[in-house]
Amino acid sequence: MADTNSQFNSRWLPIALALPQLLLIFLFFYVPIYMAFFWSLSLERPFGGGAEFVGLQNYARVLNDAEFWKATWRTVVFMLIGSSLAVILPLILAVAADRRVRLAYPARNVLVWPKAVAGASIGVVFLFIFNPFIGILAPLNEVYPGLWQPGLDGTDAFIMLIIAHVWGGIPFNFVILLAGLQAVPQSFHHSAAMDGASAWRRVRDIQIPMVLPQLFLVFVLEFTESVTAAFGLIDAMTQGGPGGATTLLVYKIYVDGFKGYDLSGAATQSVILMVFVLSLAAVQFFILERKIRYER
Amino acid sequence: MIENTKSLDRTANVILAVGVLYILFPLVITLVTATQSFESFLQNGFSFIPGTYLLENIQIVWETTQLPRQLLNSIIVATMVALIKCGIAFTTAFAIVYFRIRYGGILFGMVLVTNLMPLDLRFITTYQVAANIMMPVNALLDFFGITYIVQTLTGYRMNFQVSVLNTYFGLAAPLLANGTGTFLFRQYFRTLPADLSKAARMDGAGPMRFLWDILIPLSRANFAALFVLMFLGGWTSYLWPLVAASTPEMQTAVVGLARLSPGDPGQIPHYPAIMTGALMVSVIPLAMIALMQRHIVRGLTLTEK
Repeated sequence: MADTNSQFNSRWLPIALALPQLLLIFLFFYVPIYMAFFWSLSLERPFGGGAEFVGLQNYARVLNDAEFWKATWRTVVFMLIGSSLAVILPLILAVAADRRVRLAYPARNVLVWPKAVAGASIGVVFLFIFNPFIGILAPLNEVYPGLWQPGLDGTDAFIMLIIAHVWGGIPFNFVILLAGLQAVPQSFHHSAAMDGASAWRRVRDIQIPMVLPQLFLVFVLEFTESVTAAFGLIDAMTQGGPGGATTLLVYKIYVDGFKGYDLSGAATQSVILMVFVLSLAAVQFFILERKIRYER
Repeated sequence: MIENTKSLDRTANVILAVGVLYILFPLVITLVTATQSFESFLQNGFSFIPGTYLLENIQIVWETTQLPRQLLNSIIVATMVALIKCGIAFTTAFAIVYFRIRYGGILFGMVLVTNLMPLDLRFITTYQVAANIMMPVNALLDFFGITYIVQTLTGYRMNFQVSVLNTYFGLAAPLLANGTGTFLFRQYFRTLPADLSKAARMDGAGPMRFLWDILIPLSRANFAALFVLMFLGGWTSYLWPLVAASTPEMQTAVVGLARLSPGDPGQIPHYPAIMTGALMVSVIPLAMIALMQRHIVRGLTLTEK
């Protein structure tokens, strides 16, 4: 608001108005983040037994831990596969829903429903659906015994996790991408169709380029989200098993901190994960943002 | 359009049907299994034919688990999160946009940065802060030597202890430490004509009068969108409620559901009861989504998650 005549003058009122939000953010955002960095540099005893400055010792310990690297690798794999599916499926659905077909309206409604269902809740349901003895794949196991064993086979458990994760990721991505598609002027479609461009060609050359900003946004958010969003699913479905096959970093931090009482180790891994998420957002921002400049 | 769109429309319909099936399948399974008796479930296993035992299953869950109490907790926490967020986000955005303050940009930046680092990344130390929210005060008193002075003068060592773990406030507050709604309201205020507040000022209205009589009525749709989104967010959050509540009586319904496992580990669990629990946990937010579709879509596109 450049016009200052439209703004009020008061010294204390704006501070008072912003204070509740600022206090909450200070207490539950800035202090915890500061503490995480502080703890990663000290040896913290559980139950407030005091701290001792140890420099980068915690980092050396964490980075030399093979379990940490395994969990990091699993996080990256989950991120790449899970997020890609959680963006591409909604994109396909949004392109379909953008046409005025009979199912478009009910689909727009139903596809938002997962927003209401917590990850852990749908995890419980999918765990039942994929139960190897009574679930939907049980007949498969009768023909080929041992083909589907999410309780024993790490890959099966991972697949289960990703299917549940994509289920929950559809609403937001679908809504954003559909909003982007609907902003594409109808005249673009008409003129391209008149020039003889096929429907597929129009998707590729008009619709996708026109929703690149939304696609970019959805990818950035999905990537950062997938680093932590799997926690509810993991805790409800696999508890990190079998044999640690679904222990993503966020779950390892929880186990180390709350089950193993290794607060310094958990804080150190939190800091590493924070830096990872931040640099991820930064890289995506600088690389991708630069490539999608166009005029509408 | 000028081309024959029939086959294209058919493809679009098929794609949408597959998508809708993917979403509905687990929900239908939940519903159908919740209506089976445990005996018929053990006999037939997976079934698509609804039974008649829904009420009995609800009774089992209601009487033998903590879920009713936990559902109440979820309602309280989600409502707290939604209401408080609407309030504080609105007043913060109001302060940033409608006052001539030099630190407005810094203020907004400080709030906005919070969205880069979700709670699930900093829960370890957030837990420690919640275990004693006076910790920063103690640290400040220490830092400025006040603790030392008071101790030498009176012999009393100041060390305040206030834990919000296992309280509704403690469950809700960290979920509010983000800039989501502030951004939404700021964007909205900036689309309003500047003449609005100028005219209000000319007529002699103070800032609070302007806020109350003009801005709040104008923002009704934004309030609705933010309320629904924050309510759903509070209801479905998992990691924080899991660590912040150590007793089953204070846990939220989603956390309780994941721990709902009647029967021995070796046995087949009472799945009809578990699915009934899943149904009970999801029915309030699902009803909300079905009824307030417009607000949710609006909220999602406005807040960018």
